[in-house]
Amino acid sequence: MSTPIHNVIIGSGSAGFGAARTLRKSDDKCRITMITMDSLPFYHRYDLPQVFRGKQDWRDLLDVPPAYYDEMDIKLRRCSRVVDVEGAAQKITLAHQEAVGYDRLLVCAGGRGYIPENLTSYAGLMHGFGSFEAAMRVYRDLPAGGTAIMIGGDMVGIDLALTLLDTGYKVTLITNGQTFWPHEISQEEQARLLEVLAAKGVTIFKDSRPVGVSRDNAQHAASCVTLEDGTEVFGDVVMSFCGLASSVEFMLGADVDIERGLLVNPELRTSNETIWAAGDVCQIWHDQEKAYRFYHGWKNVRVMGELASRNMQGAHEIFDVDIEDTIGIGPDGQLRSTFWTH
Amino acid sequence: MNEHVKPVYLEEKLEEIRADGHQEYRSKSLPTWCPGCGYFSMAEGLTFALKRLGIEYKDVVTVSGIGCASRFPFFVNTYGFHTLHGRVLPVATGIKIGNEDLTVVAVGGDGDAFAIGGGHIPHAARRNVNLTYLVFDNGIYGLTKGQASPTSAVGFKTSSTPYENGDVPLNPLMMLLSYGASWVGQAYAGHQHHLADMITEAMAHRGFSFLRVLSPCVTFDKTNNTYANLNMAARGLPEDHDSSDLMAAMAEAAQADHPALGVYYKEDRPTLDEVMAATNRRAAGTDPA
Amino acid sequence: MMNKAGTDIQIAICGSAGDGTIASGDIMKRAAALMGFNVIAFDVYPPEIRGFGKCISRIRISSQQAYSLKQESDILVSLNDMHAIPHVGEVRDFGAVIYDDHLVSRVAEGGHISAHINPAQIPYGFSIRQISEQATNSARSRNIVILGYVAGLFNLPGEHFRKVIKSKFATKAQAVVDDNTKAFDAGLRAGRAVFKLDDVEVREPAEDANGAEVVMMTGNGAVVRGFMEAGIQSYFGYPITPATSIMERLAVEMPPVGGKFLQTEDEISAIAAAIGAGYTGSRAATATSGPGLALMAEMLGLGVMAEVPVVVVVSQRGGPSTGLPTKTEQSDLNLAVFGGSGDAQRIVLAPTNVEGCYRCAAMAFDIAETYQVPVILLIDLYLSNRYETVVPSSENAFAPKPRVPLKLVKGKPYERFALTENHISPRALPGEEGLMHTITGLEHNELGRPNDAIHMTMTIKRHEKLKNAINYEGLNVSKRFGDTGRVNVGILGWGSTFGEILEAMYEAQAEGISCSAMKVVMLSPLPVDALRAFFNDCDQILVPELNYEGQFANLVSGALGRPVTRLNRAIGTPMVVDEILAEVRRLYIQGPDTQDGARATGAGS
Repeated sequence: MSTPIHNVIIGSGSAGFGAARTLRKSDDKCRITMITMDSLPFYHRYDLPQVFRGKQDWRDLLDVPPAYYDEMDIKLRRCSRVVDVEGAAQKITLAHQEAVGYDRLLVCAGGRGYIPENLTSYAGLMHGFGSFEAAMRVYRDLPAGGTAIMIGGDMVGIDLALTLLDTGYKVTLITNGQTFWPHEISQEEQARLLEVLAAKGVTIFKDSRPVGVSRDNAQHAASCVTLEDGTEVFGDVVMSFCGLASSVEFMLGADVDIERGLLVNPELRTSNETIWAAGDVCQIWHDQEKAYRFYHGWKNVRVMGELASRNMQGAHEIFDVDIEDTIGIGPDGQLRSTFWTH
Repeated sequence: MNEHVKPVYLEEKLEEIRADGHQEYRSKSLPTWCPGCGYFSMAEGLTFALKRLGIEYKDVVTVSGIGCASRFPFFVNTYGFHTLHGRVLPVATGIKIGNEDLTVVAVGGDGDAFAIGGGHIPHAARRNVNLTYLVFDNGIYGLTKGQASPTSAVGFKTSSTPYENGDVPLNPLMMLLSYGASWVGQAYAGHQHHLADMITEAMAHRGFSFLRVLSPCVTFDKTNNTYANLNMAARGLPEDHDSSDLMAAMAEAAQADHPALGVYYKEDRPTLDEVMAATNRRAAGTDPA
Repeated sequence: MMNKAGTDIQIAICGSAGDGTIASGDIMKRAAALMGFNVIAFDVYPPEIRGFGKCISRIRISSQQAYSLKQESDILVSLNDMHAIPHVGEVRDFGAVIYDDHLVSRVAEGGHISAHINPAQIPYGFSIRQISEQATNSARSRNIVILGYVAGLFNLPGEHFRKVIKSKFATKAQAVVDDNTKAFDAGLRAGRAVFKLDDVEVREPAEDANGAEVVMMTGNGAVVRGFMEAGIQSYFGYPITPATSIMERLAVEMPPVGGKFLQTEDEISAIAAAIGAGYTGSRAATATSGPGLALMAEMLGLGVMAEVPVVVVVSQRGGPSTGLPTKTEQSDLNLAVFGGSGDAQRIVLAPTNVEGCYRCAAMAFDIAETYQVPVILLIDLYLSNRYETVVPSSENAFAPKPRVPLKLVKGKPYERFALTENHISPRALPGEEGLMHTITGLEHNELGRPNDAIHMTMTIKRHEKLKNAINYEGLNVSKRFGDTGRVNVGILGWGSTFGEILEAMYEAQAEGISCSAMKVVMLSPLPVDALRAFFNDCDQILVPELNYEGQFANLVSGALGRPVTRLNRAIGTPMVVDEILAEVRRLYIQGPDTQDGARATGAGS
């Protein structure tokens, strides 16, 4: 009897979880290990604004109950950061010094919120929104009716902003090139969309480059963002929503091609025969454009995970690179985005 | 002291006791020993010693194990504890620790002491428990009617060695010397005045005193430790014996065939009471040192 | 469960010998006690002295009285993954697993504890070793860092920990206190910075109404405290697990107050010397385990026959023979109650918790002196080593009463064993004027003289005098808990198992089963009337105990001539609450009609 194939998935977001579930459906013998830095089992990150709507118990956000992993025989390794993947040896090293071997590896490590380079030294004074804990910290630190300052305003941030406005908070938006990321839109389009937000009550500082963040715990609305022109913008929390940067550092030894993300062919395989990638971490070859492209958005990400997992098991499916990617204003006057489709 | 004394008989002794005035140390129970038993001289010797030392009988506890000799506490007018076979020393140790003002005399025979009780002797000796241990050694189990004991001679026929005893007997004096007993002596039941002197001296010693008393069993031993044989063999320690010289004591004790009577060894060192008191002072932080 | 609106959490700290696991648990439990919580705790450590054996300290902290450890822990802290991994499973869903996420050497897959945490448990990895090294330049304070982390995570007040650390290391150099305090504070900061995801809640304990001193102690520690308060004068002991710590503690505590302490050459001499001392009027005791008690059996007979007061603590472990020295069991009941030759009834007390150890030990001397008989305090490893909070008596209620001198009747000899109405004879002590007598293991008459003809009379005396002990003031020889009046199921228990019995009984009550539980503290003489009343009230009686033969069940059904259902476990570990509960449910559903005889689970009936 041979040892069962060990499929390892790095990441437990929509792509990773979808992949694990798909793998198990078609193979009840293989080993499946999901490695994640997150401390919770899978939940949809797009549900995180729900913490402002009463879902402060993480168990309410879970997609499947914890027992599901045992039932599906999926080994979930939480709080585990991958620091190295040795492509030749097919071995992963975790930050806590544990080595995990794999037969096939799927990288769905996603990306982390990008912070404009001139602001990275202020990261400690800013709130993230990439995990339940981060979301809860925002919830905890925002007083009732308080103000969240958002730098950029990508589609993740806009989603949160709309929730905040709906739940009695105030939002101040300092726009930049990443506003409405990942949608690539014209200046005019952006202005039109911002008007919708302004009408909803968002205070907008248009294209004013923030140069500093400060906090004075002694006073209310303690956070302050200083703009290039010297304007001080006050609020309770400061958040950067400037799109995602792929998490790929740990893949440097994996013997795969990397640009900004992991480069994969339309079958989502990397240049290494035993490694696939899906979700925000990968750039997929676009045959017409002759370029590697990111495909963000929750639906895309899930589809990628499922597709990659099928290909890991021998299929040769092609990711539909001409997926619709639009943002606009619906007949009800509300913003609509394919990014939010799920 | 090499006098030849005939066996002791009760009536005669009672006369003597009354005349001597130490009969108060005797209880109203008469000894149950066989006529001619060497143990009569134990009763005599101890009561004599108590009188001489002026110890009040209310302050004395005689403790014994099981065996002919261990019936002794019933025959003296002191407090008495007739305990279990072999356990005289630990009980006596407990009594001394429980009330150090009491004079504790532990009594027993050779089986009680060296067979079943053999494991306790070294510890009472090394701790220097301030008590006197009188072992009446007749080389036989008398109470159970004549079985071999740890001090039975090789070749001795008893009811448990019908084809002759093949085990080499213990040498109690060498044992006690090596265990660190601070007073080791030997007496002979046939020499009752010397025995009384020796018991007196043993009791006067501050610390653990061990007196082996060679004592014929007139009922079950007709061949070995008889009065006739012991009378011939018993002798005094050499005039120049130095009782502070452990090696000299050992050398004398090794000559088991010619049992010498007298004080083999004595040493002045802290008793268990004193050691405990010092420990307690140290623990309480009141030790001047 | 009982009403658990307050706090009820259990922490398990697991490490290797040398990691300071037990010390860490010790600080945890003492700090929790300072906070005003009820604490019950049990440490498990390897029989080996050195090496890499597994140590676990389990601490249950509750705002209401708890009776046993819980099957599941709320928090597991790993100081050594190899040892802790098998215990991840004892952490409940949404409980916390705390571990070091920076190992110093590489491990293969599965070698790190995070590989074993199930998806419903919350992993809390942090750099325990690094924090210790940064705080103290040494990895040795890892066991203190984790305490800080736990305090930070669960928002426990740090000052109580600092106070305990200070007193625990008071005898060491100031640097040791400082380092450990630093380590604690560093852990505290790390713990406070963590976003709490588990649902383990520590709420403020209820205000202690009377403000009485609360002390944390083990069963053995409680025995020592009881002994000291009762003015123990002499102790004789021989090392044997799990009773040794009684000897070790007395060796520290007795000498400064003038007590006589002696380590004897064996258990026989220990009991012999204790009887010798007891005979002189000294409050004397010894402590041992089953094998030692077996050696003491003959001497106990002497104590009974010669009517000498003495106190013997017996902490049971797995048997027979050398058995399981570091595992718990309740299989020395027969030996304690019956061991020895002849009709030799003695008093046997089996406390059910640490407070009981304290009270029984404190009262044992007076009971022994009153009834002039050996008193055995029968506990077990689980009770010896588990910690609970105890409220000691505020004024010393247990000191010896002044001795009333005997009056000698002129012209009449003193009868040490005089036949009296209550069968207790006035006892003279050696050294007392005019009352000389000899006591003996031989059957004897009133004077103490050997006598065979009086055997029946004296046997009756020695048994009858003990009957009153059931009414000894201040001692609950039995006690009923739960529903009063007629019930479906009665659980009858003794010793350490009674904690699990109570937990199971309260759970069964919560499920709507009418039931009650009765503990029997005095195993000899047995409180037969109270037992009969309990039997009459219960449709069915369940007797759970940690032995195979059902020794207590035999004792009780023999005395009452009534059948019981047995639940016997010889597993080396405490009884499992759920197993008792399952048996209660089974009996409840089955009803009394089918109970035509004792059904044994385990032993043949």
